[in-house]
Amino acid sequence: IHPTGKLFVLSDGEGKHTTVELSEPLGEEISGVLEVVGRVTNQATIMCTSYVQFREDKSPFDLQLYNEALKIIHEFPEYFPFG
Amino acid sequence: QRIRSQNIVPCTVSQLLTAEQVDETFRIRDVEISQVTIMGIIRHAEKAPTNILYKVDDMTAAPMDVRQWVDTDEAGGENVVVPPGTYVKVAGHLRSFQNKKSLVAFKIMPLENMNEFTTHILEIVNAHMILRKNLMSASRVPQSFSSADVGGYGGGGSLPVNGLTAHQSQVLNLIKNCPVPEGMSLQELKVQLHNMSMSTIKQAVEFLSSEGHIYSTVDDDHYKSTDAE
Repeated sequence: IHPTGKLFVLSDGEGKHTTVELSEPLGEEISGVLEVVGRVTNQATIMCTSYVQFREDKSPFDLQLYNEALKIIHEFPEYFPFG
Repeated sequence: QRIRSQNIVPCTVSQLLTAEQVDETFRIRDVEISQVTIMGIIRHAEKAPTNILYKVDDMTAAPMDVRQWVDTDEAGGENVVVPPGTYVKVAGHLRSFQNKKSLVAFKIMPLENMNEFTTHILEIVNAHMILRKNLMSASRVPQSFSSADVGGYGGGGSLPVNGLTAHQSQVLNLIKNCPVPEGMSLQELKVQLHNMSMSTIKQAVEFLSSEGHIYSTVDDDHYKSTDAE
């Protein structure tokens, strides 16, 4: 997380990194797995409109498995339509 | 021939919104659905005397209205409002009123393990694929499925039909219909089958070739069908 609190870096299930920008600095401490909803900018960052922290109090979230699942659902848009 | 769904089918909100209604029944791409499960995040919760109206967002479409009836006789307990920002699993019936779709939930459960979300999205693809395949093959001469394939949503990937999986059938049909003398190239297959990865196409080609459905022509990248069309 950047010192200004307006930027943080996420890494996904494949270890790839992406920068997330916020319009307002973070109002809280965040850690762990986050789901960010936002728009991709032309600098290949994400302009965040909202985020939610996944609960991992009972079990850790398997991010790699989730990544694999995403690839599968994108292979079958007829069974998993978007919009 | 219709397959009446007595199952509870996992769905995306986008699928529910595009479901067609014929009289009392709903269909998603010909598969009849009634009881469904969705998984998403609560964006809004409104408590009324007889019901709680939630808006549940699974990111495939706009948040869906989910209504949960409150048992006015029971004290507290059962009907605590789930706060916005919580991921939940909803089981309920699909309804449509004045062309607007909604769900009437019989169960709303906050997710305790987010890995359930990963399972849910895979189950959606699997369930819809299998239900649709069952629908298609029900109108054909019965195939010889091994007992492990029939019933339930077990196993990964496609169900074999005619001894070939969906991927293999698609690849074979394209090769069969190719008019060019040197046959269909792998590159051309990839262009036509943009949903399929190159490795999936290559696997299908290898299988078809070993079974004798196709043969290579000018090189290992070009194939023709052994069925003279």
